[in-house]
Amino acid sequence: MVATGTISLHPVRDSVFTVLSRLDPLPRLVHLLSSTRFALVLILLIASLVLAGTIIDQAPASAVADQASYTRWLEQAQGKYGSWTGLLDRLHLFNVFRSLLFRSLLGLLSASVVVCTARRWRGIWNQSFHSQVRVNETFLLHTRFHVQLASVATPAESADSVRKALSRAGYRVHTEVKGDSVAMRADKHSLSRFGTFFSHLGLVLVLAGAVAGGLWGFKDPRFVVAEGATRELGLGTGISVRLDRADDEYYANGQPKQLRSDLTLFKGGTAVRQATLDVNSPLRYKGIAFHESAYGLAAVVRVEDSSGQVLFNQGVPLDLRAADGQRPVGMFEVPGEGLSVQITAPIMGAPDSFIRPGEVRVDFYQDYVRVDRPRNLSQGVPMQVANLTFTFEREGRFATLNVVKDPGTTLIWIAGGLMVFGIVLLFYLPPRRLWALATARPDGTTEVIVGMAAQRDVSLAGEFKKVEERVRRALDAGAGDSRNHGGNDG
Amino acid sequence: MASLSHYTFLAALFTLAAALVVQLAGELGARSRLSFAGAGAVSVPVIGGLPSPRQSSTILAVNAFVFLSASLVLRVVATGHGPFTNMFEFSESFAWGILALHLYFQVRYRLEALALLVLPVAVGLLVFAATVPDNIEPLVPALQNQPLLTLHVAAAIVAYGAFTVAFGAAVLYLVQRNDSVPWLPRSDVLDEVGYKAVIVGFPMLALVILLGAIWAEIAWGTYWSWDPKETASLATWLVYGAYLHARVVREWKGTRSALLLIGGFAATMFTYYGNLFLGGLHTYA
Repeated sequence: MVATGTISLHPVRDSVFTVLSRLDPLPRLVHLLSSTRFALVLILLIASLVLAGTIIDQAPASAVADQASYTRWLEQAQGKYGSWTGLLDRLHLFNVFRSLLFRSLLGLLSASVVVCTARRWRGIWNQSFHSQVRVNETFLLHTRFHVQLASVATPAESADSVRKALSRAGYRVHTEVKGDSVAMRADKHSLSRFGTFFSHLGLVLVLAGAVAGGLWGFKDPRFVVAEGATRELGLGTGISVRLDRADDEYYANGQPKQLRSDLTLFKGGTAVRQATLDVNSPLRYKGIAFHESAYGLAAVVRVEDSSGQVLFNQGVPLDLRAADGQRPVGMFEVPGEGLSVQITAPIMGAPDSFIRPGEVRVDFYQDYVRVDRPRNLSQGVPMQVANLTFTFEREGRFATLNVVKDPGTTLIWIAGGLMVFGIVLLFYLPPRRLWALATARPDGTTEVIVGMAAQRDVSLAGEFKKVEERVRRALDAGAGDSRNHGGNDG
Repeated sequence: MASLSHYTFLAALFTLAAALVVQLAGELGARSRLSFAGAGAVSVPVIGGLPSPRQSSTILAVNAFVFLSASLVLRVVATGHGPFTNMFEFSESFAWGILALHLYFQVRYRLEALALLVLPVAVGLLVFAATVPDNIEPLVPALQNQPLLTLHVAAAIVAYGAFTVAFGAAVLYLVQRNDSVPWLPRSDVLDEVGYKAVIVGFPMLALVILLGAIWAEIAWGTYWSWDPKETASLATWLVYGAYLHARVVREWKGTRSALLLIGGFAATMFTYYGNLFLGGLHTYA
């Protein structure tokens, strides 16, 4: 929708949109969508909603997905927003970016961009490639910036001088001779007119990328895997993830310096990728990205049956919190036994009289019902429970990974690049167009008019002044050459 | 090195404050002289070879810029990374961006009066920087991406600096819209400077958002999280986008576009400070 300040000298033929606009019931809609005023209103409305969504707390996705969670979230919000909570909720201002209104406005803006761009395509194409070279004197004298000069050289010689001057100023000059009059059109950065298409196409592709990601992507922001353990990713990927090693590094002041995880990916039982990832170096495999997100303690537990067969031997991530909110808790199932085991570690950084350092507590459940009594396991000491032997081998670590597949991401990068490229073209290399006319006068001299059609722009005055000086100098030099040439002839 | 950086920062703060005081005194002096002499004289003349107050203010502002540049370079040497990782460093860098853009536009368009609006913002940022902790903290894991940290925040500094210049030009335009204030630049020049500053800042802010999205995708696995800093940047970008459409396509010039520029600057400041009270993923910045 950002246009450059040139004018079209071509009659615009009926485009598909002009034809469509004559058909009922489309005309009003087409007219509305192609209106820059409407686009402007949309942009300002979207900006206002974005600002509202920034200032007002937004309910997290997990709360919005479930009515009970959302009600609980609203109760919390009541503390901050008081009696305004109900109104803000009714206006969807706690969920601005997922609201129908916001999405509709984005959709309308995309439609507006597409319609505006399509309508302007032919005009810009013609301006760039099929604009006329000759304009008349009246037009030139009405351009915002113009200069009228006289030369003793012939029109052809004067035009040649002007052409050279404009070429030196970076303009591409087209010439048309008609009788004893020479017309010129000079363009600089002509193709920058297409910058508007790049930037607007970018805008539409951003939204398309976001939609593609939503439709065909997936995200598991809390994929927890313990050191030494292998977990299936699921989601139809057939991929399993093994955390070979988790490592955390700290500065001298205790601030985290880096988190690292050595991962091995398996597909069909075969290792397909092995890599170390950290916070700024994700592991990517066939469109799926594994990002380091968090880490924590795990308990490595070994379970054997009465025959000594190992049923379970890996780290159990202690990624939950006990009801007291302090003790780290994790769960695992003993394969083939239908038994769920809860592991609770002692409170970290504080004395715990219930679970001592070097111990974990185990609770046993079957179908969510506690079975047997809880026990404390000391590190390295096997404990018989029914027909199973449990051993707390050692402490370990777990990593929380953010696993993402977003097929729209590439489109987003292309879109972003197009937007920036288009904006830079439009504003840093703006198209400039000049016309010139060299006409023979009855007194034998040549009148040269150079004009630039432009919107009010102080910097264009400077550009035109430079061109004017070049043209003056070129005409003076050309006139001198012409006089010398004429003298020799005489 | 860190203490040297601190001293040059203080030197920049006091020099810039002096530049502002001299500028204000000069403008007030020019107005009172004009009221005696009637309309006509615009610039304060150089008396006996001494620079005029406006020239003195510019010289002081240039000195402040040099001090601030030195302070930032020393800080980089002391920390080993760009001065962009906490509120102190970012405020200092933001003030540097404002001064750089201000001096560029002042030289390009001979607009000494712009200092009246722009210098208070830069001084305010430096005063704010002086009130927040300037401890040198090591980089948290998420910030350990040198090229993106530098490019993302450097682009933000240029964008914010340009928007501040546009704001200054817009406010002066509203004062001067009828060309009735002889000691201020012509209204069409102010209108143009506002536009030129936005076409510096707008693509830069687009770059900030794009680079931020690329970085977020690398570090957090998602290019957009609707984080308050992200959404505030988007709202700011949309306001300036609206300004450009209004000005270029609908030929909105003068008062209406000046008001949009002031709105855009309010959004810019909100983007800058918002995370202080809204929290989110940018709480360290």
